[in-house]
Amino acid sequence: MSSKVMSAEDAVGLIRDGDVVGLQSGPTQCAPMSLVRAVIAAGLRNLQVVSLSGSMALDWLATAGALDRATFAAATMESHGMCQRFRRAVEAGDITVEELSETALLARLGAAARGLPFLPTRGMLGTDLLKVGNPNVAVIEDPFGGGPVVACKALRPDVAILHAHRGDVRGNIAVEHGPRHPMTVLLPRASQRVVVSVEEIVDTEQLRRTPQQTILPSFAVDAVVEAPNGAHPTSLFPVYDYDTAFFESWTAAASDQASAAEFLARWVISPASHDDYLALVGERRLADLTIGR
Amino acid sequence: MTTLVPDPADYTVDELVVSRMAAEFRNDDQVLNGLSSFVPVCAIELARRTHAPDLAWVAGGSGVDPSSPRLTASTFEWPMWDSALMYVDVADELWDWVSDVRRFRTFCVGAAQLDAFGNANSSVIGDFHQPRVRLPGSAGLADMGSLSKRLIYFVPDHSPRSLVERVDFRSAIGYLDGHGERAQLGLAGGPEIVITNLAVFDFEPTSQRMRLRTLHPGVGLEDVLDATGFEPVVAADLGETPPPSSAEVSLLRTTIDPHGYRKRGFR
Repeated sequence: MSSKVMSAEDAVGLIRDGDVVGLQSGPTQCAPMSLVRAVIAAGLRNLQVVSLSGSMALDWLATAGALDRATFAAATMESHGMCQRFRRAVEAGDITVEELSETALLARLGAAARGLPFLPTRGMLGTDLLKVGNPNVAVIEDPFGGGPVVACKALRPDVAILHAHRGDVRGNIAVEHGPRHPMTVLLPRASQRVVVSVEEIVDTEQLRRTPQQTILPSFAVDAVVEAPNGAHPTSLFPVYDYDTAFFESWTAAASDQASAAEFLARWVISPASHDDYLALVGERRLADLTIGR
Repeated sequence: MTTLVPDPADYTVDELVVSRMAAEFRNDDQVLNGLSSFVPVCAIELARRTHAPDLAWVAGGSGVDPSSPRLTASTFEWPMWDSALMYVDVADELWDWVSDVRRFRTFCVGAAQLDAFGNANSSVIGDFHQPRVRLPGSAGLADMGSLSKRLIYFVPDHSPRSLVERVDFRSAIGYLDGHGERAQLGLAGGPEIVITNLAVFDFEPTSQRMRLRTLHPGVGLEDVLDATGFEPVVAADLGETPPPSSAEVSLLRTTIDPHGYRKRGFR
């Protein structure tokens, strides 16, 4: 039996400069932050990130100069504000954007997942998002007479990166109970290669006891990376909360490029491994984020 | 600037806005909330605890009908939907439900800019490709605006910057340039009510321009006109916004939002 377990360094080796990278993340929820740190440490360049809501991961990649382009429905950290370094890079013309409505982004990924050239949505009709020269969306007439719809061209990321609760060495991936977010369940089906970090690697027999929690079979996964607290500082329901103080310190640092780069040097570049990162964050702080139930 | 609240001991303007929004929900409605939506979430909870106990709420678009939602600094995080009856698959279930014209008829939301015809901007100030200001993006609002939904906007900082004659960019459509242009695209629904920290607007049926309906207690007509970046229609029967009841204020302060997250953005 071949193992798909890899180090984060080896796993991000599946990503090449210029790749389209699908990034799971809510504004403060479940992003594969250990993999994002590895992407930055590897010095990858000219990436084209696809993300539903961006968050800190998008802002870090922008700060590191890893991004050429972003496809998104929102770029936000909710209460912690806009992704400031991303915003400045877009305003400076260093990053180009494809902004889509949520259903249009899901339609682009859904088309790729189903092997279709496009899927339509009724969202976004009449908006200026259709008037900015985006070649991936086009208003077409319903051939059955139901009025106009927006055709959304299939978007197949080269690599999807995401974080989940459990996996086995073969690459079967499981999550705990909770809402199923599109970038966890749809994104990997749309992508050519799939890299998943997990809180823990478990015996295959353990996954068999709760098959309803398995979201990806081994044949749909290329690499598994063990990373306890791998979503920190974002949340992983129902295990741990997001780290408010960490978000606040990033928001303060991100007000200018020099302090943002210093922040990355301390939290992303200096820890040689995920364990070093967790040690830097501190056991006590991680324990405080545990969701008591 | 006029004093917005005649007697702060009775209620604050955020509580009036929440109460006014809550009145828009019916007992048999379904509703979901977006990001940073403290006012809508408070209004949903207030309605559920008063006149609309059966109002079905998908908290944070993630959990159906939570029994004990806790409001924290996020309207998209687990303390709100932890006690849900059902967890949702957002791509497959939530958007299927929303696309059904029978369901989820009302959506409450804010935007960086809103114009005289109810078009909203959450994308850019200036040119799209070389923006002066890049905003967070329209996310689900760009969908909601084009579906057969009734949109209720809240504007906590009523000013010529937030309420403009024409938005820089139409991230989500209202009535486009009015006079039925939305219907000509085959689209039903659209914005119905705009609740600001000064007043309540609806839309004049023919021109589809924003129409001032009620002034909040203590706010004068001139105050509103001065603070609005366009000339609204003024209703012939311009009235006063009903203040929240003391029971509503008490629920908001003690139970629904004791930390006062709903006050964010108000001035």
